[in-house]
Amino acid sequence: MGESPAIIGIGRTKFGEHYELDPEDLIDEAGLMALDAAGIERRDLDACYISDYLLQVTNKIGLEEGFMSQLLEMNIPIEKMRSFSSALSNACNAIEAGKYDVVLVGGMEKMTDRWSKIRDNLMLLVDHWSYYAGGTPETSHELLLREYIKTYDIRGEDQHKLMTTLAYISVKNHRNALKNEYAHFRREIDINRVFAARKNRVLGLYDFAPISDGATALILASPKKAKEYTDNLIYVLASSLATDFISYPSRSYRTGFIANKIAMENALKMANISLDDIKLLEVYDQSTVLEMISLEDLGFIKKGAAWKKLYENFKDYKGFYEIDGRQLYVNTDGGLKADGNPLGATGGAQIFEIVKQLRGEAGQRQIDPDGDLIYGCMQEIEGFGTKVYVHILGREKSGK
Amino acid sequence: MGSEPIERRVSYIGDRLKGSRCPFCGREYFRPKKYCGNCGRKSLGKMEDIDFFYEKGVLETCTIVREPTNRFRRLGAYFYGVISFHNGKVRVPGRLTDMIIKDDELIDPSDFEGREVVPRFRRRYSVDKSDIIPMISLAFTFADEYYPYQQYEIIKPNKEYDAPGIVGYGVYISKFRIREGKMERSVPFIDEDAITAAVESGKLALIHSGVDHRLIGKIYVGSESNPYAVNPIASKVAQVLKLGEEEKTEGVQSVDAVDTEFACKAATSMFKDAMALVYYPKDSIEYAMVIGADNAQAAPRGEPGGELDFFVGFGGAAFIFGMKDVIAEIEGWYSCTSDTPDFWRRDLEPYPRHGGRFTGRPAYFKHILKAGRKLMEKMNLKPNDIDYFVCHQPNPTFPVRAAAALGFKPEQYMPGLQVSRFGNTYSGSSPIGLAAILDQAEPYKRIMIVSYGSGAGSDAYLFITTNQIKDKRKRQKFTVKYQVENKFINYVDYATYRRFKEGL
Repeated sequence: MGESPAIIGIGRTKFGEHYELDPEDLIDEAGLMALDAAGIERRDLDACYISDYLLQVTNKIGLEEGFMSQLLEMNIPIEKMRSFSSALSNACNAIEAGKYDVVLVGGMEKMTDRWSKIRDNLMLLVDHWSYYAGGTPETSHELLLREYIKTYDIRGEDQHKLMTTLAYISVKNHRNALKNEYAHFRREIDINRVFAARKNRVLGLYDFAPISDGATALILASPKKAKEYTDNLIYVLASSLATDFISYPSRSYRTGFIANKIAMENALKMANISLDDIKLLEVYDQSTVLEMISLEDLGFIKKGAAWKKLYENFKDYKGFYEIDGRQLYVNTDGGLKADGNPLGATGGAQIFEIVKQLRGEAGQRQIDPDGDLIYGCMQEIEGFGTKVYVHILGREKSGK
Repeated sequence: MGSEPIERRVSYIGDRLKGSRCPFCGREYFRPKKYCGNCGRKSLGKMEDIDFFYEKGVLETCTIVREPTNRFRRLGAYFYGVISFHNGKVRVPGRLTDMIIKDDELIDPSDFEGREVVPRFRRRYSVDKSDIIPMISLAFTFADEYYPYQQYEIIKPNKEYDAPGIVGYGVYISKFRIREGKMERSVPFIDEDAITAAVESGKLALIHSGVDHRLIGKIYVGSESNPYAVNPIASKVAQVLKLGEEEKTEGVQSVDAVDTEFACKAATSMFKDAMALVYYPKDSIEYAMVIGADNAQAAPRGEPGGELDFFVGFGGAAFIFGMKDVIAEIEGWYSCTSDTPDFWRRDLEPYPRHGGRFTGRPAYFKHILKAGRKLMEKMNLKPNDIDYFVCHQPNPTFPVRAAAALGFKPEQYMPGLQVSRFGNTYSGSSPIGLAAILDQAEPYKRIMIVSYGSGAGSDAYLFITTNQIKDKRKRQKFTVKYQVENKFINYVDYATYRRFKEGL
């Protein structure tokens, strides 16, 4: 990467059910909060990158650029992407290229407006041939888990431990969200509830992230311009993307996502840091399985070992995973499971958490890992491992 | 609302599970591809066509779907997983069909993973009543259960006959049955209909005959339960089974395909047309296929026409006619017709109506006896000269009385009498009986079949088996007897039977 762009302000709505609000209202709220946090005016914006996945389907809204222009009452360049990470990535490229100095990156989604049909629509994210064959948004996660169990031959008592670990991941994320005022779910659950919801199926309600409404936004600026507004800068040190086949069964690597590995390796190179430098991680836990798998794919734990390692951690959970003597805080905001998952806005909430933590503004949730908290890493997935974005943020401009 | 162009593209690939293979490195793809990812430019345009329609796969991983997406809701709970073909060269998503899973049933996916499965041609999901019905072969059943894996091998014929006849056949009856009193009847699974039964029976006929699908010049499908008023079943069968040479650029089959309708004789009527075509002196065709398939319709009990609900079945039978490697040669035929309104279904009505006692003596018996007697008279034969007799089987008593009236004894008509096992399969009824006889007949045995179609008419045929009937028998695992005596048969209650019959 060239000179790293910096985040100078960030905002979000509460995630959850916003039956009284239109998508425009949500992005307006998050955008204003970000502008306010950055201490800038609308008219300071050079451009705008926004994201939503399903508004065309859920709300029959197309050409989102138009309502953004109308909200801002500006005629600046506005582009719509599919995920917050995609919008952020494109905004970074533009700033690094010297095209713009101040950009608003925003994401929104209104999923509860289409409650009865949303799972059918979500299959668009997975693969239409899987849909034709009877797949649901949940089955992909369950098949990945089955593949994992088969590949690593996890049976009997071990398999029970694995399923318990997954339940604990859900419990942990729910607990983290108790301290997150913006979270979709702020109630504690126990592993019995997770198990009860699985009943006679492979995974249950509490293994999956919900569908949510919400919006997030941030102001990204060139480092030079950013310093005019604030000294408390959070730099985007790496923004990487890797892709994979749309059809999960067609992939040769099926115990995880190859795109996770590639995106992470590239991100570490861009940021010029090592995995050990990362103590704060926001993973895209669409399911409890994906939190566990991502820790392996991203390189924090050896393939096939995460279930065991995390099981040990959950015996006496201290608020972070202890992996080979190192602390790793994962999904301190509650993750997708409890914070919520309004697709186009979700990545923004992950960035929000990292920015807040790095700036020491996370309040009750503030973590203090051994050593300084300098870097935070987020992984966002589009589809079922079809696109993986990794962003590394840092308080310092570049790595070692 | 579906999209017809998308539907055409999906079913063109998904009905047959078409793919590609690289001739250089052997890499395979589900969904045809123009070039190989390994070999790049040199493979462009050289990829070989493959498909997985006749293959068996392995269910590698699976899970249970208890909350399907909206269009799959009527399936209830089902298994869904990853299926691999050719030792993992290709993997596809797929659901398991023909399974009824209870709400409280505890499932361990590892009980199913690793088992061999075969693709089945089924309805894909529910759509609006006025939409195109989507189909797919990404539905699978276990290869060691009701529907066995059978290889389709094209066999070069070695003997040409003087008269045309039956070259091969296949019978498809679903795994589900309803049992009431002494009578059992076949019930479609919820994703089956007359179209799927026609395709499955045609597939079995190709497997049994070993006939090259490209040499079939005409396909007739007789049915009275086509879910469409306009849109042939025969075109689906032709496309899925790739009948006739394929014009690849357009995805067009060089075959004539047509649906026929005459109540329960829609298929048998075309036997003579098929044989005439293969025997035609100028520009004849090599083979013609005739299928009779029905998801026999009946109103619920208590409603007008509801008396049929005690007897209706589901299934199909396919016959391939030709001049080479014949297993049963034609000897003669006779048909009769009268304008007798004993059973009918008006356009837009879901269920047929029925003339009560009028359907007996002045309809069924009059035509069957006339056709049977006339053909014997014409051929100068007596009942004793005929080894097997089979006629249309609307209920267990009519065919027995008809056979007796014609002078046949139980040993002549019992082998073909299947109604108490499958119910009345309408267009498939007498053809399935004929198939049951062909399953067991020795060479040089004479068979008489007399169909009956309301409205009304009968077709009578005399066939004589050849010594090749025994050679081909080993290629028919899915015999009528196998389907009657199968230990995997699943008996359902009346409510389930009605629900399954209504379909997705």
